[in-house]
Amino acid sequence: MAPSILDTTVQPPSGNPLASGFNEAKRRQGTLLHNYLECLTKGAGGGRKFAYTFVMGNPIELLSVFGIVPVFPEVTSLNISYRGGAPGLIAASEEEGYSTDACGYVKMGVGAALKGGQTPIGTMPKPDILLLNYSGCQIYIHWWEQLHYLTGAPILTVDVPYLRDYDGHVPPHDLEYVVGQLQELIPQLEAATGRRFDEETLKETLRRSQEAWDLWRKCLEMGKLRPTPFDAYFESIYYMSPITLSRGSPECVDFYRFLIDELQRRHEAGVGPTAEEKFRLVFEGVPNYPYFRSFWDLFRNWDARCVASTYPKVAGMVDTGSFRLDPEKPLESLAEYMIHAYCNLNMIGRVGLLERYVKEYEADGLIIHAIKSCRSFSMGHGDIREHFAKDLDVPTLLLESDHVDPRYYSEAQMRNRVDAFFETLSLRKRR
Amino acid sequence: MSQAIQMTGVNLVAATNGVYRTLLASAGVSQDDVACLVGTGYGRFNIKFGHLMITEISCHAKGAHHLFPGTRTVLDMGGQDTKAIRTNERGEVSDFCMNDKCAAGTGRFIEGSARVLGLSLKEVGETSLRSTRPVQVSSTCAVFAESETLELLAWGHPLKDILYGVHSSIATRAIGLLQRVGIEPELTFTGGVSLNSGMVRCLEEQLGVKLNTDAMTMFCGAIGAALFGLERMASETTEPKVSAR
Repeated sequence: MAPSILDTTVQPPSGNPLASGFNEAKRRQGTLLHNYLECLTKGAGGGRKFAYTFVMGNPIELLSVFGIVPVFPEVTSLNISYRGGAPGLIAASEEEGYSTDACGYVKMGVGAALKGGQTPIGTMPKPDILLLNYSGCQIYIHWWEQLHYLTGAPILTVDVPYLRDYDGHVPPHDLEYVVGQLQELIPQLEAATGRRFDEETLKETLRRSQEAWDLWRKCLEMGKLRPTPFDAYFESIYYMSPITLSRGSPECVDFYRFLIDELQRRHEAGVGPTAEEKFRLVFEGVPNYPYFRSFWDLFRNWDARCVASTYPKVAGMVDTGSFRLDPEKPLESLAEYMIHAYCNLNMIGRVGLLERYVKEYEADGLIIHAIKSCRSFSMGHGDIREHFAKDLDVPTLLLESDHVDPRYYSEAQMRNRVDAFFETLSLRKRR
Repeated sequence: MSQAIQMTGVNLVAATNGVYRTLLASAGVSQDDVACLVGTGYGRFNIKFGHLMITEISCHAKGAHHLFPGTRTVLDMGGQDTKAIRTNERGEVSDFCMNDKCAAGTGRFIEGSARVLGLSLKEVGETSLRSTRPVQVSSTCAVFAESETLELLAWGHPLKDILYGVHSSIATRAIGLLQRVGIEPELTFTGGVSLNSGMVRCLEEQLGVKLNTDAMTMFCGAIGAALFGLERMASETTEPKVSAR
């Protein structure tokens, strides 16, 4: 008779297996994030302007030349949600007439604006500029329109064409189209800030930004180690914040230099985010922020570690070779970066990337977390599940909830699916 | 073998203890005689005296395979959710899909309609079998289905035709789930709703295949859990136990 699939009854994780000294990068990330939020809520000083912008494919290096502080309502919303504060802001938008089906980020952002910027993590600054850099999502365009009506801030648009070529090739006219818009943006930023454009400063910022990208890529590729010294989804979501918020700065470079060192020390000491590595997973999709830790526990309980994932690369597809910031071609290389945002990839490109992750990172299975809020991210998740499960025989689990709205998360239902998935994986590994 | 069913109510632990006492009494054994006890289902974490917890997804697959060894696809329909499960030749889960956070494709949909009509669950299935001119019932919401049932009655549709429509609407959603994992014969229908003759008929008509079902398919989760317990006991005597974390 075959052995039972569960010699181990699932137990909650017994504390953090990372002894002190192996989790310092996360503390540093917390400090950087804290300082960034302080800058938003207590003022940046020096008369610096605030530009609201989106995480995917933005040119913050160009903004920094003008001393502009980028404000990411997606990032502030996820932090509010992580701390349990989403319902009040979502309710403010729904009371105004927004549908329950509308994106949670949009509703939180509009809700904050309706409350004069007041949020559970402090008062957000009014935008001086609304930089509409990500046009892949229709509702995002209307979000910025709504903020324009509420605050009067001007919208500056960089319309980024969708990646239509299955191989990721960008036609020259698409590139020229984006470069032309960046050239038009420069005098608009000069007018908004009263500062002259300094190309040398942009070049230096891009050089530092690329240095951080190279270091971040090395960190992410350490997920190929067996065992992986970190969780390339749940821990990477913390680690991704410097590259998202402050790339181009010396602090950002320092952070990833430190992170590589810490992950290397973890590897040499044989420690990681779980007691051992029983399962290696690839993760696709946005996390659930209101229940982030208990969501992670569903996987940690089974000593599963994520080895590769897509979401921590929403600030830039760093490991696809699709862009390289070049100080000698500043606007061209920025345009290439902007075009290759994750949700700008076509479905063939996204599936191909996940296939590569499963193979190169030697994963046991694929987890897909679809969220009700975001069709850009969740579109095709059902088809991706079927492709991996049926065509490639890769165990695949599709979970559904939301990234910020706690109303769509049911712990019992989620846990049932995850436990059943690991029971199946356990059986496969025994064969 | 003995069996017992009890509604869980609000106190899962009390219900678990109660059904356990009933089982022991009807089997004529004491608690000390029980070598292995396996908990399954949403309340598996509340079976404090158990030795093993396994999801009902794995258990239904195993139980269905035990009753019908040719099973390769399982449809488990209960009061809370509906699951489409693909299994291999050993009764192990190879893929599964479940309904999302909505009761419209589950047995709760039938319960709601039965309640407003004042019928038992057995009666709704049998009544629907007599349908000659089925009516369409929308399948989007279990709560609205109750008011829709009353509205159809008010329009003068015969009860048997409305009830057929209720079953047909759930069958359509269940088949959508089955198609997501792929339907490979034999298909075994498990869970409480597998006792409903009206649902069996609707599924067979829409799928064009005969379903495996009998008086025991309702207990496939428990049967599968018991089989996992047996395997666990066998492995403990033949190989070193892997320590639990």
